[in-house]
Amino acid sequence: MKSSLKHFFDSMDTYLAGPPGAEGLLKLSASHPGWDVDPERMALYGQFVRGHVRSTLEKLFPLTRKALAPEAWDALVEGYTRTRPARHYELNRLGEGFAPFVADAIAAKGLPPFLPALARFEWTDFAVFSSEEDIPEAVERLTPNPTLTVLEQPYRLCAFVRARGAEAAPVEGEELALLWRHPERLMTFYMEATPPALLVLKMAVEGLSEEAVVQATGMAAGEVHSAVVRFATDGLVLLPAVQ
Amino acid sequence: MPSPRYADRHGLKPLGAGIGLRRDFYEALPRTPRALDWVEIIPENFLTLGGRSQRALDACRERWTLLPHGVGLNIGGPDALDDDYVTRLAALVKRLDAPFFSDHLCYSRLGGVHLHDLLPLPFTEAAVEHVVPRVREVMARVERPFLLENPSYYAAMPGGTLKEADFLRQVVEAADCGLLLDVNNVWVNAKNHGYDPRAFVDALPLERVVQVHLAGHDVGDTVLIDTHGDRVCDDVWSLYRYTLERTGPVSTLIEWDQAIPSLDAVLDEADQARAVLVEGAR
Repeated sequence: MKSSLKHFFDSMDTYLAGPPGAEGLLKLSASHPGWDVDPERMALYGQFVRGHVRSTLEKLFPLTRKALAPEAWDALVEGYTRTRPARHYELNRLGEGFAPFVADAIAAKGLPPFLPALARFEWTDFAVFSSEEDIPEAVERLTPNPTLTVLEQPYRLCAFVRARGAEAAPVEGEELALLWRHPERLMTFYMEATPPALLVLKMAVEGLSEEAVVQATGMAAGEVHSAVVRFATDGLVLLPAVQ
Repeated sequence: MPSPRYADRHGLKPLGAGIGLRRDFYEALPRTPRALDWVEIIPENFLTLGGRSQRALDACRERWTLLPHGVGLNIGGPDALDDDYVTRLAALVKRLDAPFFSDHLCYSRLGGVHLHDLLPLPFTEAAVEHVVPRVREVMARVERPFLLENPSYYAAMPGGTLKEADFLRQVVEAADCGLLLDVNNVWVNAKNHGYDPRAFVDALPLERVVQVHLAGHDVGDTVLIDTHGDRVCDDVWSLYRYTLERTGPVSTLIEWDQAIPSLDAVLDEADQARAVLVEGAR
């Protein structure tokens, strides 16, 4: 690459990495003597590039945003944008590091303590929704949904998210959340792990038959079967066509 | 003597009028009873995303020819081509059996950071020399005909020594690739930079045009913005007719990416493009 072209790219990189405002534009312009450029036109590129980070975060993290005052959200977005998070060609992937960033920021910025867990939940929701894992159309035995992701979190976020953040804050308390993509509806389903859900997942992972579970636990056969059917309907586990 | 037309050399036929597969249409588009000749996809939405994206892609693949039109190739950027991206793109193009694929003559990554926008290159010999081998590399790896699109731009980059049309010509001729002529971009650029859009079209290597894009734009106080957020305006329809008189019929896409209306509204625009194509073929 010719040095003139390299200089051009270097100057654009410096401009786009910097904060918004006239100063960066002045430096960019000054690095190319004789360049007669309208600063308002050139500023569009900075606005576009930064705008993509903001709009993507606001799509991926609506409840995290809702939990904050607008100025606190703006400061968080600006801080994250300065880390230049878009390291992948798939636009949404720039949100992957947002929850850890929020975790690092809460003390300094006085943010609500549940915010990192909420951001992690929202990112996981998207990651499960768009997972590349193939969900097989047919299975030979009870099988866990391959998109299943488990989150351990110190807040009751499943209820909070289900209510779309209607409460000011989630209830404190340990929660094991299960998130998976429904095989037919292709939406992310989630629930707090309950004993029946964990039992059915154990059956799927360890290949336990309903009869074996009845014998080992003393549960009623109908109760075990209805749990299997229920969680298969929800897509948490995949059921063979003929059992 | 072989035809000088890029499409003829590669056996590419005009496909008619198409629209883009956008997330808003994942459910409705594969089921539409309306006429549609082909569908364009943004490959970045399908290279790593599973679930709904793939189901929509598969459903559309059963009905139409799909043409991948990328936004992340970064053909003009300083970074090396993204190996994972090109590998997955090649696999997708082959899986779809797409007759060709395309991206923009721009850069979209700096220092490992994806800008997720299409930034203009300086119109210089140095940029031509930089881009051409990268285009050849992509074509060699994907093994399909490749088109470069003329992007919109709001400011001419520093150091430019070539006219925009000459810059485009030098790149596509030296790389021996096709041209995806975005007629809305021509109009937007002509207005923003004060040149005659018809003279610009005349100055292009029109024998390399394989596809045309049409879209709406926003009219600001001092600048037109290429938003793809509205109907195609009358001036752009007129410029489209002017272009077709010189290229003959070419596959034409209605792009609508912001403020997306109903599927029917987008298909109405595609119907209008098809009517112009038919009218031009008479």
